[in-house]
Amino acid sequence: MQEGKLPDEIKPVMESGIPAIVVTCSADGIPNATIISHVQYVDQTHIALSFQFFNKTIRNVRENSNACVALNDVVANTKWVMDVQYEHSETDGPIFDEMDMRIEAIASASGMAGIFKLRAADFYVVRSVRKVSF
Amino acid sequence: MVPQGPKNDEDLAERLAKKTAEVSVLRRIAVDINSTLDLEPIYDMVLHTMDECFGFRHSIILLLEDADRLRVVASHGYEDPALGGTVAIGTGVIGMVAKRRRLMRVNHLRAQHAYFARIRSQMEEAGRAKELGEVVAVPGLEDADSQIAIPLVIKDKLIGVFSVESREPEPFSEHDETLVSIVASQAASAIQNALLYRAEEERRKELAEAHERLKQLNETLEERVRTRTRELEQANRDLRETQAQLVRSSTMASLGTLAAGIAHELNTPMGAIHSNADVERRAVRIIRGILRDASVADKLGPQPRLERTLRIFDDINQMTLEAAERVTKIVQSLKNFARLDQPELEYVDLHEGMESILTLMEHLIKDRIQVIKHYGELPKVKCYASQINQVFANVLTNAVEAIDGAGSITITTTQEESDVVIQVADTGRGIRPEHLERIFDPGFTTKGVGVGTGLGLSITYRIIENHQGLIHVESEPGRGTTFILRLPASKL
Repeated sequence: MQEGKLPDEIKPVMESGIPAIVVTCSADGIPNATIISHVQYVDQTHIALSFQFFNKTIRNVRENSNACVALNDVVANTKWVMDVQYEHSETDGPIFDEMDMRIEAIASASGMAGIFKLRAADFYVVRSVRKVSF
Repeated sequence: MVPQGPKNDEDLAERLAKKTAEVSVLRRIAVDINSTLDLEPIYDMVLHTMDECFGFRHSIILLLEDADRLRVVASHGYEDPALGGTVAIGTGVIGMVAKRRRLMRVNHLRAQHAYFARIRSQMEEAGRAKELGEVVAVPGLEDADSQIAIPLVIKDKLIGVFSVESREPEPFSEHDETLVSIVASQAASAIQNALLYRAEEERRKELAEAHERLKQLNETLEERVRTRTRELEQANRDLRETQAQLVRSSTMASLGTLAAGIAHELNTPMGAIHSNADVERRAVRIIRGILRDASVADKLGPQPRLERTLRIFDDINQMTLEAAERVTKIVQSLKNFARLDQPELEYVDLHEGMESILTLMEHLIKDRIQVIKHYGELPKVKCYASQINQVFANVLTNAVEAIDGAGSITITTTQEESDVVIQVADTGRGIRPEHLERIFDPGFTTKGVGVGTGLGLSITYRIIENHQGLIHVESEPGRGTTFILRLPASKL
């Protein structure tokens, strides 16, 4: 098990664009799992997730900053699991711009321009990361 | 296409060879696409090289058409080349790259499209369909799974987008992104140069066409000016001729009136002079008869002085009678010239008119110019007598003025079939060839400013023309001039 730092080999998996699973938990212990379209690599100790709707995931991490993110590597046939902690949100900057651009590009082609407008990029610090074989 | 770390020296050598090959290809592209200013070869080189050397089998170049759209100008590896197809700025990966002017590398597009399609279905099921827009079909692979799109920018100005796509499950890597970026940068520069060159060529062509149009317009304008000038010159000639005609008509009318007045005023004194001269002649005859009577002769004896005096009386009487006859003749000629007492169109004896004119010009002719007449048998000619007299006056005046010192004017009249021909030949200084063709032009004169109006012969020409006749001039400098007038005897 690798803790704290994201290895280089996870970057292409994040960039692959395969939707990831995010699991959060409310302050009173009720868990929630959802699929998100993209996990943005920030640096070796941080990732960013999109805040588009004020849904359960957002509500949970605002109450309980701990979350778990699972990424599928369809090439290597493995899964990466990260324990992360919500740190802060950004509404501008290079990470926000890149996430916003990606979301708008795909959404606009699907006739959903503006519907999935990125409200903020939520930054999470990586507490641990491990590769799990299927 | 995901790069792996080197396992051993062999792998390292292989990777180095691959890198070297890539650099060589990139350098060749740079040289080749910048060696031409034609867009089509540039597109071909870029797209074919991307496929043959780097394995990017599906690529597309779009150029900015206006502020809102990009247009496909070249493609490679598609069943439908989609040339001319458009992408709205801000729509899809290509449109968003153009809008944000940032490179995008997107993988697993099918999965992401499927994700958004599920969300769309959920919204439709939840009754929120009206919040949704149309699904947009963009040029390219319908089932692309990876895409790199890069803006083509020159000096902060967007000129287009370059995109590569793949259906392959392996996504595009950072290394692929780098290769595409380098080629796109070179392509942007070459395309911009070619566009500028094309714009310059079009501008040059437009300028040349405008210049040609202007030249034709100028020539047309010049021709129109020339035509208009000719028209104005002709109108001017006509006007001057008409003016001269009016002046002459007015002059002739005045002259006629004057002639009538002179004739009337002179008639009485001339009658008195004639009568007195006649009385004097009879008185001298009576005195001579008395002196010759025998009874008177015996008483007076020879009177030579008286006889001489009586002879002087005879001579003076004769001179008085001749002078009176001459004055009467001049007044009659003047009246003939104006022809006020005759109807306009009539059968006229041309010799009579000629004689009238010669009488009026005698003061110019006598003691200097010999007038030789060869009058043939002519029928009377139906014409405007005053106008024909004007012609004779113009022609004879020119003949007299052409003779410096002594000379002669020969007038010959003949009938040739149904025409009468009048020739007036002088022994004057002649007319130069370059003047000969212009002597009937209104306003042309060799007499100097203020001396001649240059209208006499043009009026002559017009009068003859109106009588359906012909006028012709033959002349040789130093040898004299001959005017030949031909008039139909009775065509009017």
